[in-house]
Amino acid sequence: MLPTLRTVANGLRRSLGLRSLQTTSTLQSDNLFVHRDTPEDNPDIPFQFTTENKKRADAILAIYPEGHKRAAMLPLLDLAQRQHGWLPISAMHHVADILGLPKMRVYEVATFYTMFMRKPTGKYHVQVCTTTPCWLRGSDEIWNTIRENLKLENGETSKDMMFTLSEVECLGACVNAPMVQINDDYYEDLTVEDTVEILCDLKEGRKPKPGPRNGRFAAEPIGEPTSLKGEPPAAGFGVRPDL
Amino acid sequence: MAQQTVRQTIKQVKPILSLDKEEARKRVVSLYKAWFRQLPYIVKQYDMPKSVEQLRDRLREEFNKHQDIKDVRIVDMLVIKGQMELMETVNMWKQKGHMMAYFKDTWEPKPKDFLSKFLSGKD
Amino acid sequence: MLRTALGKALKGAQLSPKHARVMSQQPKKPEQIEVFIDDIPVKVDPGTTVLQAAAMVGVEIPRFCYHERLAVAGNCRMCLVEVEKSPKPVAACAMPVMKGWRVKTDSEMTKKAREGIMEFLLINHPLDCPICDQGGECDLQDQSMAFGSDKSRFTDIEHSGKRAVEDKDIGPLIKTIMTRCIHCTRCIRFASEVAGVDDLGTTGRGNDMQVGTYVEKMFLSEMSGNIIDLCPVGALTSKPYSFTARPWEIRKIDSIDVLDAVGSNIVVSSRTGEVMRIMPRVNEEINEEWIADKSRFSYDGLKRQRLVTPMLRDNTGELRPVDWEAALLTVAKQIKNAGANVGAIAGGLADAEVLVAVKDLLNRLGSEALCTEHTFPMDGSGTDLRSSYLLNNGIAHAEEADFVLLVGTNPRFEAPLLNSRLRKGYVHNELEVALIGPKVDLRYQYKHLGDGTDVLQQLIGGGHEVSKKLKSAKKPLIIVGSEVLERPDGAAILAVIQKLSASTKAQEGWKVLNVLHKVASQVAALDIGYNPGVDKIRENNPKVLLLLGADEGAIEKADLCDNTFVVYLGHHGDHGATIADAILPGAAYTEKQATYVNTEGRAQQTLVAVTPPGRAREDWKVIRALSEIVGAKLPYDNLNEIRDRLDEVAPHLTKYGEAENANFFKQAQDLAKNVKTQLDCTPLDVKLKDLSDYFMTDSISRASPTMAKCVQAVLKQKQSKF
Repeated sequence: MLPTLRTVANGLRRSLGLRSLQTTSTLQSDNLFVHRDTPEDNPDIPFQFTTENKKRADAILAIYPEGHKRAAMLPLLDLAQRQHGWLPISAMHHVADILGLPKMRVYEVATFYTMFMRKPTGKYHVQVCTTTPCWLRGSDEIWNTIRENLKLENGETSKDMMFTLSEVECLGACVNAPMVQINDDYYEDLTVEDTVEILCDLKEGRKPKPGPRNGRFAAEPIGEPTSLKGEPPAAGFGVRPDL
Repeated sequence: MAQQTVRQTIKQVKPILSLDKEEARKRVVSLYKAWFRQLPYIVKQYDMPKSVEQLRDRLREEFNKHQDIKDVRIVDMLVIKGQMELMETVNMWKQKGHMMAYFKDTWEPKPKDFLSKFLSGKD
Repeated sequence: MLRTALGKALKGAQLSPKHARVMSQQPKKPEQIEVFIDDIPVKVDPGTTVLQAAAMVGVEIPRFCYHERLAVAGNCRMCLVEVEKSPKPVAACAMPVMKGWRVKTDSEMTKKAREGIMEFLLINHPLDCPICDQGGECDLQDQSMAFGSDKSRFTDIEHSGKRAVEDKDIGPLIKTIMTRCIHCTRCIRFASEVAGVDDLGTTGRGNDMQVGTYVEKMFLSEMSGNIIDLCPVGALTSKPYSFTARPWEIRKIDSIDVLDAVGSNIVVSSRTGEVMRIMPRVNEEINEEWIADKSRFSYDGLKRQRLVTPMLRDNTGELRPVDWEAALLTVAKQIKNAGANVGAIAGGLADAEVLVAVKDLLNRLGSEALCTEHTFPMDGSGTDLRSSYLLNNGIAHAEEADFVLLVGTNPRFEAPLLNSRLRKGYVHNELEVALIGPKVDLRYQYKHLGDGTDVLQQLIGGGHEVSKKLKSAKKPLIIVGSEVLERPDGAAILAVIQKLSASTKAQEGWKVLNVLHKVASQVAALDIGYNPGVDKIRENNPKVLLLLGADEGAIEKADLCDNTFVVYLGHHGDHGATIADAILPGAAYTEKQATYVNTEGRAQQTLVAVTPPGRAREDWKVIRALSEIVGAKLPYDNLNEIRDRLDEVAPHLTKYGEAENANFFKQAQDLAKNVKTQLDCTPLDVKLKDLSDYFMTDSISRASPTMAKCVQAVLKQKQSKF
C-alpha cells in the first residue's frame, strides 16, 4: 500500500513539474513479512506431500545425519513449493512437523529466501532481470514487451493463474543478456520477438526450448572465437628470466 | 568546700538584672500586676470569647508554672520574656489566634504505648 | 544472522560464559593466557571473549545483542574494538582472545567503529524518546550519549523516511513497537533458550527484516515478561506499565516475591504511594535475573479488592465498616469467651512475623490449634525434621543435576524459575528428566513414567526402566510437589520417596530429596511449628477461628459450628473474607517489612515500598494490639523485638539471604518406617496443568485484571490455529 501511495505521489509531483529532492528510492520489498490469513493461504488448507513427493522427502532427509535433520528444511520447502506451485503456510507447518522444529524456525527460512513464493503464484513465474548488464542490452524493452503482452505489472499474477511477473536482480547470466527466467529455465539473448514467441508458446501449452535464442550454445562468442585461439604457451611463459 | 566553690561561681557570674532574690520577686510581682491590669483591655482589643476572670486564671496558671524556679538569673530572664510578650500584646503586634493559643486545650500528646500508636495509625 | 540454533544437537556451539566457566572447572585446567586491555595485562582462561576479558579489568565495552545469560549472537556490532595488528575491528562479544593480544577499547578506530554503528542504528530508529516508555532506562539512549557521534548526517526524514514496522500483538503483557527494534535478537534467544517457547524469530531479510511471530500469536510463556527487561530499546515494553511513570520519578525498593515458594528477588517501583511495576533483582542463588510473569504483573491486584478498614458482620449478615477499636474489642470479647478454644489457619501469603505472633498469642491463651492451609504428612518424622519438607539441594544446584525425577509436580507453573534451571540443565548439561504425574508441557523433553503410584513401587523395587539411571546418577534429584503430599496417602508417598532417595548413589553433599512448595508461607510456618493441614480445626471446632489470609477454601463455613466466630486477617476480600464475622485489614507484601522463607529454606525479607491502604495495618501489629486487649500482651512492640522473638524460635529465620541446610535424611527415613498409610491407587495429579491455570492462584493474582486478561488471552490463543 505505502509503496503504491509513494509511487502515485511521485508521479503527481513529476507531472506537476515539481522537482523531488529525493535522491534514492526507499528500498522496500513488495513482499509482506508477516502472515495474513487469506482464502488461499490459511492454516486450515490441508497440505500433504503426494506419495511420490513423500518418497523424495524421505530421500532428502536420508542425506542429513541424525541431529542435523533441520538442514533438510530448504529442500523440503522447495519440494513443497514445487508440489503446490507456491508455498502456503500449511506447507510450512507440514515441513516443521516433519522436521520436528518449531514453526517459527520454518517461517524464518521461508521468509528469508526470495525464491520461496509465499503468495499465490501463476503456473509460469516470469522473472525478468533488469540489472545493469541486462539493462544495457535492452532489458527495458523485454520488460515492457512482457508487461504489455501479459497485461501484468510487477508482482502481479494473471487471473487465470497462468503467469506471475517479477522484476528481479541479477540472475547470473550476464553474458547472455538480456534474459528472463521462467520457472526453472533461463531464456537468454532475447529480442522482443523471441520474448513474444516464448510467451505465446507458454500460453498455448507448448514448452519453448530454454537457452540462448541467438544460436549460441552457451556463453561462447557468436561466430568464431576471438581470443585464446592458439595452443596454450608452455610453462614459464611470461616469467622473469632470472627466476 | 563544694559550697564555697558554688558561692564563688555565683559571685563570678554576672547578674542579669536583679542582684538578689528579693529584687527578682519585685520584678515578677510588677510584671504580674502589669499583665493583670491589661487583661480587660486584652479581652476587648482582641475580641476574645473569654471572660476577664478566665484570663486571670490563665495568667496565674502561667506564673505558677514557674513557681519552683529559684535561680535569680532564670527568673530575670523569664521576666524579660514576659515583658516582651506583654509589649507585643499591648501594641497589637499579636493577633487573636496568638492570644487564643493560650487556651489551646485540644493539644494531643503523641501516642506513646503500642496500642494507642496502633489505633491512631502513627508509628 | 548468527543466532545460535538451539537444541541438544548444537550444544557444542554454545558460547555462553556460564558454560565456559563450567568447562574451565574441569580437572585439567588449561594454562591461562595473558592479554592486554588498554595496556592493562590480564590473565584469562582460553576461550574467554574479548568482552569478558575487558570486564575483568573493569573496562566496559558497549553492547546491545550480547547478554551474559544468552548465547552469543554477535549481530549488533556495537562491541567492535581494535586489536593491535588486526586490520579490521573485531566484535568483542564473540571473539575469543589470543595470546598476547593488545585490545584497544578507546582508540580512534574503535571510536570510529562505534560511532559508525550507532549512526547506522539510529538511521532506522525513530526519534520518539519523549513518548517511549524505555526513555530514561534505554541502552540505546545511554550508549548513543556515551559512544555515539555528536552530530547527525541523517537528513532524509522528509522523503525516503525511516523504516517502519508493523507492531505485533503478542499478548496482554508485552507491548510491541517494532519500529524501535534494533534487531539484537535478545528476545528471540531468550524465548528459545530460557523460556523454551520458539515463537519469536526474524522474518524477511536485509532492510525488511523484522522481529516477530510471523503469524498472529500470543507469546505463550510463563516468563514472557523478561523480554521486556532484555530489550535494550523500547520495542518491547510492559503493557500494564505503559505511559504510567518515568524511571527517574519512581522509588525503587528491594523486596521479595511471595506469589510462589521460590522467593524471587524483586525491585518494587513505586510512585505516589502506588506500586507502578515490579522488576527482577539479580540473585544467582535463586532467580538469576528472571522473574515469572505472575510475580511481575500481578501487582495491579494490590490495588483492587483490598480490605481497607476493619469490618464486623452485623445482625443482618452484612459486613459493616467499623473503626479499629470496635473491631478489636469485639474480637477480643469473642476470644475471651472462647478461652482456650481458639484456632488459627495460616494462608499462603502470611509472613513469619505474624505467624510467630499468632502462635505466641494462641499459646498464651492455651491453644495449640495452629494450622496451615496446605497439608503435609505428619506420619513418620512429619515436620520435625526440616529435611523432609525443604527443597534441600537448592534451586541453583538444580541445573547441575544429571537426572531429575519429578513426582506429582509441574515445576513450570508451580516454580517457573526452578523449571528454567531444569531447562538450562537440559539444554547445556545433558540433564535427563522423568516425571510421575499428569502429562504436562514443561518446555523440555522428559520421560513420562505414568501417573500412578505403582510407578513409585516399581522404582523402589528396581524393576523400572529408569531405576538404573536413578541409581547410577551422580547428581540425581527427586523433586516432589507438595500437592501430592497433601493426599491422604501423602505420608506413604513421602516414605517411598525417602527410601528411593536413600537408595541412590549421589555424590557427597548432594541432596536427593527435594520438596517443592507452592506457597511462600509454608516453610516458615512449619519452621515455627504450625501443624500442616486444617484437620485439627475440623476436630476441635474452635469457638474463634483466626484466618491469616487463608483464601484457598481449605475450610468452609459448613465445616465449622454455627457459633464459630471467624476472624479474617488479610489484605484481600477473597474467599476467607466472605466467611468472616470480623475482618482485620492487613498489609500486602509490598507494604510491610516481613520475613518469608522460600522452599529451599532461605529466609528473605520484603521491604516497605508503599504504605498499607486505608486503615490497614501490618499484620503482626494487629495481633500484638489484639493480644493487649485480650489481656495476653505479647512482649514485643516493634519490628526489632519481634525479630528477636523470631530468632529465639528459629535462628535461621533472621539470617536473611542464607539458606539454612537440613541434614537429617537418615533419621527421617528411619522414622518413615513407622508410616502406616498405604499407597493409594488414585493417580497423582497437579492443579496447575496449563498456562491458563497459572495466572490466578492466590488472592493477589485473582484480584489482578492483568492476570484475568492473561487467562483470557491464553484461552483465546487455544482457539487459534497457530
